[in-house]
Amino acid sequence: MTLNDLAPLIPLMVIAVSSVIIMLGIAFYRSRAFSGLLTLAGIAVAFITLFGVQGTRQVTSLLILDDYALFYIGLILAASFVVALLSSDYLEGRRENIEEFYILLLLSTLGSSVLAASTHFVSFFIGLEILSVSLYALIAYTRNELNIEAGVKYLVLAAASSAFLLFGIALLYGETGTMEFSRMSSGISAQGINKGMLLTGFALVLTGVGFKLAVAPFHMWTPDVYEGAPAPVTAFVATVSKGGVFALLLRYFIQVDMHAYPSLFGAVAFIAVASMFAGNLLALLQKNIKRILAYSSIAHLGYLLVAFLAGGVMRVTAVTFYLVAYFITTLGAFGVVTMLSGKERDADAVEDYQGLFRHRPWLALIFSAMLFSLAGIPLTAGFIGKFYIVAAGAGSALWLLVIMLVINSAIGLYYYLRIIVVLYAQPGHSEVSAVSSLPLTGSLVLVLLTVLLLWLGVYPEPLIEMIHRMTMRF
Amino acid sequence: MDSYLLIPFLPLAAFFINIIFGRTLIKDKAHWVSILAVFGSWVVSMMAVAEVLQGKTVNADLYTWITSGGFKVSVGFLIDQLTSVMLVVVTTCSTLIHIYSAGYMHGDKGYYRFFSYLSLFTFSMLMLVTANNFLQLYFGWEAVGLCSYFLIGFWYEKKSASDAGKKAFIVNRFGDFGFGIGVIMIFLTFGTLHYIPIFGAVNGMVGQTVDFLGMQVDLPTLIALLLFCGAVGKSAQIPLHVWLPDAMEGPTPVSALIHAATMVTAGVFMVARCNPIFSLSPVAMDVVAIVGAVTALFAATIGLVQNDIKRIIAYSTVSQLGYMFLACGVGAYGAGIFHLYTHAFFKALLFLCAGSVMHAMAGELDLQKMGGLKKYMPWTYLTMFVASLSIAGVPGLAGFFSKDEILWLAYSGPSPVGKLVWAIGTIVAFLTAFYSFRLIFLTFHGKFRGSHEQEHHLHESPKVMTIPLMILCVGAIASGWVGIPSLLGGGAHFTEFMKPVLGHLEGHGTHAEEWMVMAISVVAGLSGIGLAAFVYLREGDLAATVTQKFRFVHQVLWNKYYVDELYDFIIVRPTIWIAKNVIVGVTDGKIIEGIVNGVPELIGRFSLWLRSIQTGMVHQYAAVMAIGAFVVIAMVLLW
Amino acid sequence: MPTAFLPEEYLPIVIFMVIILAFGLGTLAVGIVLRLRRPYQEKLLPYESGNPPVGEPRYRFSVRFYIVAMLFVIFDVEAVFLYPWAIVFDQIGLYAFVEMMLFIAILVVGYVYAWKKEAFRWD
Repeated sequence: MTLNDLAPLIPLMVIAVSSVIIMLGIAFYRSRAFSGLLTLAGIAVAFITLFGVQGTRQVTSLLILDDYALFYIGLILAASFVVALLSSDYLEGRRENIEEFYILLLLSTLGSSVLAASTHFVSFFIGLEILSVSLYALIAYTRNELNIEAGVKYLVLAAASSAFLLFGIALLYGETGTMEFSRMSSGISAQGINKGMLLTGFALVLTGVGFKLAVAPFHMWTPDVYEGAPAPVTAFVATVSKGGVFALLLRYFIQVDMHAYPSLFGAVAFIAVASMFAGNLLALLQKNIKRILAYSSIAHLGYLLVAFLAGGVMRVTAVTFYLVAYFITTLGAFGVVTMLSGKERDADAVEDYQGLFRHRPWLALIFSAMLFSLAGIPLTAGFIGKFYIVAAGAGSALWLLVIMLVINSAIGLYYYLRIIVVLYAQPGHSEVSAVSSLPLTGSLVLVLLTVLLLWLGVYPEPLIEMIHRMTMRF
Repeated sequence: MDSYLLIPFLPLAAFFINIIFGRTLIKDKAHWVSILAVFGSWVVSMMAVAEVLQGKTVNADLYTWITSGGFKVSVGFLIDQLTSVMLVVVTTCSTLIHIYSAGYMHGDKGYYRFFSYLSLFTFSMLMLVTANNFLQLYFGWEAVGLCSYFLIGFWYEKKSASDAGKKAFIVNRFGDFGFGIGVIMIFLTFGTLHYIPIFGAVNGMVGQTVDFLGMQVDLPTLIALLLFCGAVGKSAQIPLHVWLPDAMEGPTPVSALIHAATMVTAGVFMVARCNPIFSLSPVAMDVVAIVGAVTALFAATIGLVQNDIKRIIAYSTVSQLGYMFLACGVGAYGAGIFHLYTHAFFKALLFLCAGSVMHAMAGELDLQKMGGLKKYMPWTYLTMFVASLSIAGVPGLAGFFSKDEILWLAYSGPSPVGKLVWAIGTIVAFLTAFYSFRLIFLTFHGKFRGSHEQEHHLHESPKVMTIPLMILCVGAIASGWVGIPSLLGGGAHFTEFMKPVLGHLEGHGTHAEEWMVMAISVVAGLSGIGLAAFVYLREGDLAATVTQKFRFVHQVLWNKYYVDELYDFIIVRPTIWIAKNVIVGVTDGKIIEGIVNGVPELIGRFSLWLRSIQTGMVHQYAAVMAIGAFVVIAMVLLW
Repeated sequence: MPTAFLPEEYLPIVIFMVIILAFGLGTLAVGIVLRLRRPYQEKLLPYESGNPPVGEPRYRFSVRFYIVAMLFVIFDVEAVFLYPWAIVFDQIGLYAFVEMMLFIAILVVGYVYAWKKEAFRWD
């Protein structure tokens, strides 16, 4: 390893250094503006340095900085940037020391980025833990009763899931004798491999990863944590933490060809279908927006797994495009929740949104756009994403899964429409929607997200081109 | 070509202007923006039609929408004979209804919102008809559904209105599901979604079969039927017709534009557009014909007994759409589109007249509370009377020519079910005439049966509403003259015009037979009118007596064959029940709790410890996760 | 699927585990059978011959204990990294030196932070 090897890691190092500087800064002089601006600057610089990484760079056996990793890191950084912007106003007045929030945010962003770039189980696990440990604290950050409950739940369950994951890694290592993804496939094809052990290893890894992705049946924590966490953190959990893990999962199962194991394929299909149904059916009866969005995210990950199961070139395109659309939509939806939240509690009851169109027509329109995208209505990014998934699934003749997906889209429509109907109904008597004025930065972010959402819905070509170029070299 | 872009994009611009500035700047001037925009696109459409009449069709891509691998979908436009007819229908009706709405919606608090939705709808509908590929068609298809959802639920304070909006949207999803899969099948078969290359290559799929969920299915049949699923939803055919009558909760101009003249006919348009695919599959054709005929009959019988003025017209729309499918199903696409075109005029007119009546009656919909309105609103009466004559197929009016052509081609065409659907069609012609004139007689003739206040309020609608009525009335009379059959000395110009796109179906029969078919349908129509006159004009209580006598039949019809109840029972309730009991049962409690708490001491202490940090549930979550992991392991090992 | 997904080589381990379990339980069982039982107050106390316990065992400790414990763990782990590094220092050169200095520097930042946050003061 030489200094030259370090060059591609600059984006990751920028993030790490920013968090250390903020920590040092806090030690001597607490300033909200300093921490916040430094965080934004750090993320922005890291994002820019991504463009400086040329070609595919393998850095030790742990990390690889190829176009795929760079794309996902870029996506993760962009999402963190949005979360950082949204949280600055949100945290104001909720607790006194809010500077540390940014340290944790940067660290978990780093963890997620490491996941997107890792090609080795060690870096996988380290990334996952950097991500998770910071998340425990972030979830409980504003320290009200719900927060802490959510944080502790996440802690206990994530620890348990890490145990499954480690056991799985150990079994795979035991059978193949390597922890490198690329060498693992050759290890698998070697003679004398115990297939049962191998498959059990895969299943356990899948359990650990499934927990992070919140797919059924490892999804139980999702609604509670989504509800309990502060709204911007929920947005973070829903996007950044899942994005990195999904990028890794996809990379792993492309290098270790999943289609060679029909039973593993079946298990993932089962997880996909279970997630779609569990998410959509449970969302039907919810009265809390954050919980609805939590269940909806479970369902969306189920849709993503359908594309994941498909083979061919369409797979990476479909997954990546859908993830981008999902990021934009989720950030937008939780952004609206963040903006409306009062100091006492988050604006998460459906009644809080009754007649929102009357007081805040713009916010209501933006929220509707986000919900339409989640429902996959044309002209939004969500539609194009779903189109790609269905096309990928149909292209691999996964008819049953595609049909399940379409049925679930129809069910999903019902609860999205229910919220939209409420938005345009006669105003109710909720104190939450009467927040005095909306913070400017947050509003700008939401407008930007909406523009992006519609842009990708009308003219997705540039992004798809980009994804294509990225997958060409894969 | 470039100027053709104005056709859809003028209304889109109007939508943006109204939605952004409507609330603050434009307010009650919103109609100007929308009317000017849609009028502008009417003018350009007419220019386009003139070009097409000279044989200049256009097929051009604007930009690439989606690419992946070798697959490319563009945003592009195809302006040919079929599109030009749809452009005439959409822009003409839309312009007139925009103008009418300026009067009808006057003073509504969502005035600007109404016009912006209306413009958005016009844009979507124009995108749908001008598309040159299936994905753009699908986009327009979904977008018109969305606008229809907005507009049905326009008066969202009314629960029934927002429920009806949701119902329309969700029922349509069932159809779109099939449609979507159909589009994907097309893509997989041809590797493209553009019309021209697909229709050029359809013959390649004759005899191909495909493994669909374990069954070997004939490929053209499968694709055609999947596409038809979408048409069934959008055009409210059995069994997905339930949303259209409920959609009448929306403002009346919406019913006229979306649920009579344009959106609901998109299904017919799509089937006609895909005629090269449908023509390959005799099975699919017969299905289309039978579904159309059965729907026509079914809806017409329901229409006989309803009392809600708009619902009667809605069932009449369902029935007439059935007619159009019937035509497509026997291969007479040209006749189907011809009927679509004439129907747009007289049906929009009927709705707008009903709106005018409601305007006078302060929103009253019940026929039994009307009567004798003739003398208060002469223009409405006259125009509605003409529209009803047209729909009843009285010779010389628009409806006569298109209906006659459908019936003749059904009778004489090569379709194996032709004679059957012809017979059904003739019965429907009789029923149509009867319920249409029942409506006229109960509304405009006899004595006024409402309250005194209402009577005092009765008045003719303002000019801004009656003038569109008159213009549409001209359409209801004269729009059929472009397709006078050669038997009556005309040139059948319409079907000739459509020949390049839709082909031409030759009827095989003698002149005598043709005269006979025409005579039978005319007699059916006239006797329907006569019977209605006999029942509702002369003998006041005859209707009641008949109702008493055939109580059971009346009940069934009155309750629309209990289809809504059936769906509630077999679809809605089970879904809710599963959501409520099974899923919540599994997650919140009983089963998991049983397993977990069944293991006594240890778990008991564990949970006690956990409860002390106020969760109480984490152990269950962990248990589910562990069981899940176990299931996944079991699956990978034992599969 | 394969019938035996635990290969035979693992059998000795299983037997070994069974023997361990049997030995442990067996010893306890022998004790229970053979020993005398004369319980009295002092003998039942948690700490035989120690101080008698005061108050509830589920006592809420001051959060400072945890902070101190955590800080201890962090710096303890640092030391664990330092030992092997020091042993092979002469073989791995400047690169490793810089790397370790960076590692320590980051920990120092954490140390400064903890200090400024008054994590080391008891009151």
